[in-house]
Amino acid sequence: MKSAKVTVERFYMETASDIGLRLTAGAGGLKRMIREPTVNRPGLALTGFTKYFASNRVQVLGAAEATYLKALTIEQRALRYSELFDYRIPCFVFSRNLKPDPQFIKAAESSDIPVFRCPLITMNFINRATLAMDDLFAPSGKEQGSMVDILGIGVLIKGESGIGKSECVLALVERGYSLVADDVTQVKLLDGREIIGTSPDITRNHMEVRGIGIINVAAMFGVKSIRTEKRVNLVVSLTDWDGVANINRLGMEEETIDILGVPVPHITIPVRPGRDIARLVEVAAFHTKLQLAGHNAARELDERLKARMRPPTD
Amino acid sequence: MSLVSKNPDPSQATSREVTIANEAGLHARPASVFVRMSCQFDCEIWVCCNDDKVNGKSIIGLLTLAASKGTRVVIEAEGSDAQDAVEKLAVLVEKQFKID
Repeated sequence: MKSAKVTVERFYMETASDIGLRLTAGAGGLKRMIREPTVNRPGLALTGFTKYFASNRVQVLGAAEATYLKALTIEQRALRYSELFDYRIPCFVFSRNLKPDPQFIKAAESSDIPVFRCPLITMNFINRATLAMDDLFAPSGKEQGSMVDILGIGVLIKGESGIGKSECVLALVERGYSLVADDVTQVKLLDGREIIGTSPDITRNHMEVRGIGIINVAAMFGVKSIRTEKRVNLVVSLTDWDGVANINRLGMEEETIDILGVPVPHITIPVRPGRDIARLVEVAAFHTKLQLAGHNAARELDERLKARMRPPTD
Repeated sequence: MSLVSKNPDPSQATSREVTIANEAGLHARPASVFVRMSCQFDCEIWVCCNDDKVNGKSIIGLLTLAASKGTRVVIEAEGSDAQDAVEKLAVLVEKQFKID
């Protein structure tokens, strides 16, 4: 698992279309790390109270802060800025397209702290920036396996190369389900509990089918056959028929597998020529869907059996 | 030809660092040449580049690395014929994916 490190530059680039930051000063500090993925309004710090100042966060200045700064004399401002810019602040953002005063720009240039302007009102900026940072800071990794969305159930299909993952995925796509990723699935942990799977940018919508080559799934099967990202609800491991001794015959206990520290439901399907693997994976997904809705066929059958066997009470 | 390695043996693991030498980098054709060779071995094969590690028997996997000319990659293998696999694949990369 990679613990995400995010520079101001990356935050700036990746949120460009959504938040629309414009760099105004302090370009020399773009490589600064954002050490805490949240936003802070430095109102108190501007008044000179810095005993408890969340300086590790992105600092946003809105109308309130700007109006306050305007009310200060030039000398007062110089003093406050010299204190403020002594902190290791990742960057400043002026919302509502507010214009930082020349003293602020000068201080930012000399201490290499980036200053941005943003057209959004402060609250909207805070909301979007918080969401964007959640995403950027999410722990991430790569899983060997293909991923398909089967009626809302994200299924990660794992197995050694050559066991038939891609063929299985192809059959599922043909049945009308959507491809998320072929062979390599990027995963990230959202909110500390949800695993989101997606395809690497370069190979998105493509897969390799042995004997045919690389195909473009979107071009071949249409736009419904692809999906950019999907939560992983189930992991299916395809294994050699002989390789598994202890296979689940009832489905009463739920087995899990660890992805980025989160347990995800896991089943193992033995592969043998003639078995319709795609059909089995499809059923496994339906099974998971039923379980998520609170049904467990094996347990219900067991309850019925036990009720039948109970001696009549009178 | 078996594509599925039966018993990866940790005692027979080996790796070697090589530099992508051909002008266009590890694009589709070189990747297919690499995979054609890697699939002839029983051992598990991995190709590592920066922080990424992908299956050396997967074309799609190799393509996600987007390894350009001059990129250093590590070929890892584990299994009975790991030594031989790493040796031959390293030579293949160094010879710019040309088979003689």
